[in-house]
Amino acid sequence: MPAKRALVLTAEILLLVAVFLLIIGPMMSLFIWSVAHRWYWPSTLPQEVGFEYWKQALGMRTSLAIGSISIIPAFLLSLTIAVVVVIISMLIAIPAGYALAKYRIPFGTIIMFLFLMPNAFPQQPIFVNLLRVFTRWGLAGTVQGVILVHILVGLVFGVWITSATFRSIPNYLEEAARSVGASRLYTFFHITLPLAAPGLLASSVFVFITSLDEFTGTFFIGLPFVSTLPMTLYSSSGYNMQFASVIAIILLIPSILFMTLIQRVLRAEYVGGMG
Amino acid sequence: MPADSTARRELSLPPYLLLILPAVTFMVLMYAYPFVSSILRSFINPQGEFSFENYTKTIDLYLKDIGFTFAVTIVSTAVAAVLAILLAVYLRLRQNRISRALAALYKVPIFIPFVVVAQMMNSFLAPHGILNLALAKLNVINLENPLQLFNFYGLTFGFVWKMIPFSTLIIHGGFQMIDNSYIEAARSCGAGLGRVITRVLIPMNRSSILVALVLVYSQIVGTFTLPYMLIGGKIPTTITVDIAHRINYFRDFGVANTLGVFSYLLVLITAIYYLRSSVKKMTGYQASEV
Repeated sequence: MPAKRALVLTAEILLLVAVFLLIIGPMMSLFIWSVAHRWYWPSTLPQEVGFEYWKQALGMRTSLAIGSISIIPAFLLSLTIAVVVVIISMLIAIPAGYALAKYRIPFGTIIMFLFLMPNAFPQQPIFVNLLRVFTRWGLAGTVQGVILVHILVGLVFGVWITSATFRSIPNYLEEAARSVGASRLYTFFHITLPLAAPGLLASSVFVFITSLDEFTGTFFIGLPFVSTLPMTLYSSSGYNMQFASVIAIILLIPSILFMTLIQRVLRAEYVGGMG
Repeated sequence: MPADSTARRELSLPPYLLLILPAVTFMVLMYAYPFVSSILRSFINPQGEFSFENYTKTIDLYLKDIGFTFAVTIVSTAVAAVLAILLAVYLRLRQNRISRALAALYKVPIFIPFVVVAQMMNSFLAPHGILNLALAKLNVINLENPLQLFNFYGLTFGFVWKMIPFSTLIIHGGFQMIDNSYIEAARSCGAGLGRVITRVLIPMNRSSILVALVLVYSQIVGTFTLPYMLIGGKIPTTITVDIAHRINYFRDFGVANTLGVFSYLLVLITAIYYLRSSVKKMTGYQASEV
């Protein structure tokens, strides 16, 4: 039945085009806004395009126009916070992930619950109550406070991904090393760690991106003094579409890069609860 | 194991305690404590006494928003699940160039954060946004009277857009575990496409479909960014936006926490399912290794 086959093929092509348009449409919208110098309704496309807003946002040109912002300070702040968050989170997450993977821990179920709850329940009430506590401790509105909240968000993923990584390394490799006299520490650093390195790296990158993109916690703990990239996006959204679009594209790039890099090993525990 | 090492182990702390202590301490202070206090504080009125004042106030002011949150979540989850299942079925049953292109394409939005999705939808769904302009070009709508999407529909669109890739990933993963022989057996007994999907693929993949549903559902209930940037303070809005207003404008932790408790209640069933199945899976791993 060649007619039927042609019909199926047409349907498939239409499906592909529809999915393409639905995925690319909103992204195109960002891109067009970021290069729109002049765009008056009801023109379908901007009347005048260029990279003026990109240059201003990236600090290559200063403008005295109202609403003009350089995103460089926010970018550097976000980057610094993300690096600190990755280092501290992974220092805490790697031992915990290892213990969860390799030992039978008393009250293990309760400990697992502790690390699963943030995925199961909305996190916003947590941030609200941390705001109350942090206000008392003088951490509200500070970079330190925001780092603590980002660690909270990143640590959960960090622990689960590292623990899954360690679990995938067969015990007999460690046992073999131990049986020929290697100490526990030597075995860990010379056998387990090198084997786990790719998973740990993926986990670090994931925590890094989580911190870079984190919005809700920063909104409650950081406002109005800590302006990370997502906060700057939020404050320019609505009245300054061009700058908001530029920032959105800058935040879009690492998330798509990360997706393409870990395509092959993409698992559910990497994904839940982003943003 | 030599006797002396057992003796030593009894004297010193077990090694895992030291490994896990920092993470557990952090989570107790930064998660468990605020979680418990979010529930306790919902019962404390502004004068600092135990009362249900916050609850009567919340129900008075926000019952509609609680219903709105539930409706958006249910509809978004259902639409995302149906579309994801269809897409995953297609990807499972069809191996050609088009399906491979689609398999690469659908994953693109997976890690795009909600703040970026929100900004995208803000400009894409706006009355004068790309969607309305394109639809006007195709003569589907009149630009004088564009689709108003900063409401239930736009929010649902945004959630579905963000959640389909994630659910497709999980569900497609499950479909790939089903051996071809089952599908061929059904086909040779005369089952058509519909029967293969409803009698073989979906029943055999129930657990991963359920996991996708549960994760999508509970994630949508707790999402603040998208409704905040798309709908903001308009009525009706979501619980998460109400919590932010309660804190930012009134510093009213009592009602904010009560709203939080309502959001916990909305996810209670899915949370219990998620926690139970995850713990079961994890203890299963451990048992198989010992």
